[in-house]
Amino acid sequence: MSIPANAAAGARRLEKVQSLADAAGLVADGCRIAIGGFAIYQRPMAFVRELVRQRRKGLTVVGVTNSIDTDMLIGAGAVRRVETSYVGFEKYGLARNFRRACERDGLDVVDYPELLSWDRFRASQENLAFWPAPGLGGTDVVRLNADIRPFTCPASGRPLHALPAAAPDVVVLHALASDVYGNVIFPPYRNLPQNLDLTLARCCDRLIVTVERIVSENFLRRHSHLVEIPSVRVSAVCVAPFGAHPTSMLGRYEDDQAHWQAYVDASQTDEGFRRYLDDYVLGLDSHAAYLDKVGGSRLASLFQVDTQK
Amino acid sequence: MTATDFTLNELLVANLARDLRDGELGFTGLATGSAAALYATAIPLVAMELARRLHAPNLTVLLAGWVHNPDLAALDELPDAEFDERLRDLPCESQLLTYPGQFSLRRGNISFGFGSGVQIDRVGNINSVCIGDHAKPKVRLVGPILLPEHFSMFGREYVMMPRHDSRTIVEKVDYVAGVGYPGGLEGRKALGLAWGGPELVITPKCFFDFDKAAGRMTVRSIHPGVDIDDLRASTGFDLGDLAAVPVTPAPTSRELSIIRAEIDPRGILIGNGPRAG
Repeated sequence: MSIPANAAAGARRLEKVQSLADAAGLVADGCRIAIGGFAIYQRPMAFVRELVRQRRKGLTVVGVTNSIDTDMLIGAGAVRRVETSYVGFEKYGLARNFRRACERDGLDVVDYPELLSWDRFRASQENLAFWPAPGLGGTDVVRLNADIRPFTCPASGRPLHALPAAAPDVVVLHALASDVYGNVIFPPYRNLPQNLDLTLARCCDRLIVTVERIVSENFLRRHSHLVEIPSVRVSAVCVAPFGAHPTSMLGRYEDDQAHWQAYVDASQTDEGFRRYLDDYVLGLDSHAAYLDKVGGSRLASLFQVDTQK
Repeated sequence: MTATDFTLNELLVANLARDLRDGELGFTGLATGSAAALYATAIPLVAMELARRLHAPNLTVLLAGWVHNPDLAALDELPDAEFDERLRDLPCESQLLTYPGQFSLRRGNISFGFGSGVQIDRVGNINSVCIGDHAKPKVRLVGPILLPEHFSMFGREYVMMPRHDSRTIVEKVDYVAGVGYPGGLEGRKALGLAWGGPELVITPKCFFDFDKAAGRMTVRSIHPGVDIDDLRASTGFDLGDLAAVPVTPAPTSRELSIIRAEIDPRGILIGNGPRAG
């Protein structure tokens, strides 16, 4: 048995912590990106803002239910196509940049049903090119989408449709913590948005995780039962405290209702939204500057009482 | 005994509850915005809870698609977020925290659901996606969400329409997110839809049901005090002969007392609605 050539040199394990600016370089113009979280919950917004800052173009956002993550990228001119079941703000109303881009510019939106949107990622997780779907006959979901093809189930003879796998080029999530090697800790109580994140994490080989904090290797090894995404799956880790702001981070901090409302108000017009981007994204050079701009007293007021099981 | 003084919400709740059967699993999403939340979430919740207390003790309620048999009395308000600590900490029997989870839509585990959209048409197709041409719509809405599943995988669907006018109850929807009965039941079968479909459409003016064989929405009953000419003018297609259509049956005093004293004593869910008639 030969000794690896670099053994004597004391090869060091790769640390995966990168700046948001560097990690955003892993997202190429024109690629297919899946953005973690669900609807208005736990979106990796610090990373989204960095993509805007770097003037990313031509992205296809592939998702299950999307909100401010996608709306902000659309408003910044970064999106060519959206494939999802929902773009909206739930209690905060409709997504205005998304609406304008559809109504005025004919943005390419490929509408998928909600569970099947999730199944498209399950297909990618299993390295399948399609997911078989019953129950889509007669819908405009099928009529308007040439990538969905009818077929007959070879075992039962039942009519089905083949939905293309989600096939993201890159996945980005916001999570609780990681060590420097990219072992990512999830809380013991995980709800649907966090479990969807795990499906996303397991369907793509380019995975970026932003985290609230970096923990020590010893801390990590004492809590390895919480590591749902091990280092080997992770391309880059970025430190981004309050990285989901203004969306909530389940079990840790609430959504920032005042900031959401400011976003909604600003995005009623192109001019208003440009001012918002100047104020909170383009005019700031880092996530730290963003947090300072939002303000410590505001952020401190968002913490939840920790009652997690 | 039939009551004479009740609200429109109570009328809808009592009639819906009578349609629900013991042992079923009923699905309601979490709608936001006051009218949508009332029709798509609050009224269904109270109707299911009323059925549980009267004739369906084994009916399972699914709130927001993931909370099984929630303790409604523990609510301080109707939740307006699907995933926050209020729903997380609401006492219940089981929580669906991942997908696939405790039930399978495709096995037909959901007996019935409640859904809503911006348009429903004569054959029972529903739309939540856009008004106008999809490629460049006049109005773009949120997307199909779970409606395709509601209309094909649930045993039956109760369509909750908080507004009844000729823009919402239409001849033909601009986008088919969920499929009704185009070509009737035979037409549904030919599309590969083995079961399910809309059962009733509930509006502030009437209950619609379906002539499923013919694939046509028909007026089942008209709410007390609603003028027939107004009903016709508020509907985007010809309602045909309405002479034999009954008035929506009033709640009984027993139903009302359970709603008011037991299910929603603080009026958090369906309180303060307009009086019927």
